[in-house]
Amino acid sequence: MNRNPTKLPGAVVVGLILAIILDTFIQIAWKLSVVHVPVDASVIATIRGALSSPLFYAAMLAFGAQLFNWMRVLARADLSFAQPFTALSYISVLAISCHSLGENLSVSKLFGVALILVGVFFISRTPFRTTGNDRRTPAIPDPLRP
Amino acid sequence: MKPELAGIFVLVAAATVESFAQMFLKIGAAGGPKILSDSCRRRVGRIPFSSIAASWITLGVIAYGLEIFLYTLALHFLDVSVAFPMGSLCFVGVALLSRIFLGETVGRVRWFGVACILVGAAFVNM
Repeated sequence: MNRNPTKLPGAVVVGLILAIILDTFIQIAWKLSVVHVPVDASVIATIRGALSSPLFYAAMLAFGAQLFNWMRVLARADLSFAQPFTALSYISVLAISCHSLGENLSVSKLFGVALILVGVFFISRTPFRTTGNDRRTPAIPDPLRP
Repeated sequence: MKPELAGIFVLVAAATVESFAQMFLKIGAAGGPKILSDSCRRRVGRIPFSSIAASWITLGVIAYGLEIFLYTLALHFLDVSVAFPMGSLCFVGVALLSRIFLGETVGRVRWFGVACILVGAAFVNM
C-alpha cells in the first residue's frame, strides 16, 4: 500500500496519460475510417467502408489495449479519482479534430465540452457505491468512454 | 432527414445501448440478478438462464457490439468533435437505469452532474 495517499504511483500516472492518448487515438482513427464514405451512402455501404479501412481495426485494437490499461489503473486507483482525468480526452479530441481534420470550433462547442467536463467531475464526486448488496463488486471499466 | 439529425438520432441510440451494456456487465460482474431491485428480480427470475452471470456478460458484450455498429454510423454523419462529447449521454442513461433497475441512490449532486452533461451535449450541437 502507498503510505502517502496524495503521492501518485508512477504506474498510475503512466496509465492515466496512456488512457488519454489511447482514447484520443481511438476516436480520431475511428472517424478517419469512415471519412471517405459518401454522406448519402447506405448503412451497409458505410459499415463496409469502415471495415475496409485499416484504421477501423487499429481503433478496435486500441480498444483492447485501453481495456487492459484501464483495468491496471483501476487496480491501483479509485474509479472516482481516475475518471475525471480521462475526461481530458474530450479536450484532446476537440483540439486534434479541429486542427487536423478541419472540424468547426465554435464557442458553443467549447462551452458544451466545458459543461460536460463539469458534469463528469460532479458525478465522480458522488459516493462510489450506494447499494448494500454489492459492496464487493468491482467497478466495470468502460473502454468506450472516459 | 438531414445527415446531422440522423447522426444525432443514431448517437442517442448508441448511448442508450451502451447504457444497457454497462448495466448488463454490472449485473454479470455482481454474479447475477441478485443486484437487481426486488421487483425487477422477481420479473427477471421467470426468464430462462437469467440466474447465470455469464448470460448477462454475454448480453453486455452483444450490446457493446451493437454500440460499435451504431457509433460507426454516428461518426459517418457527425464530426468526431460533436460525437465524442455527446457520447457522454451514456452517463445519463446509466444514472437512470441504475436508479430504475438496480435500486441505486442517485443523489442531488449526481443529478446535477447529469444535468450538466445534458445541457453540455445540447450546446455541442448548436
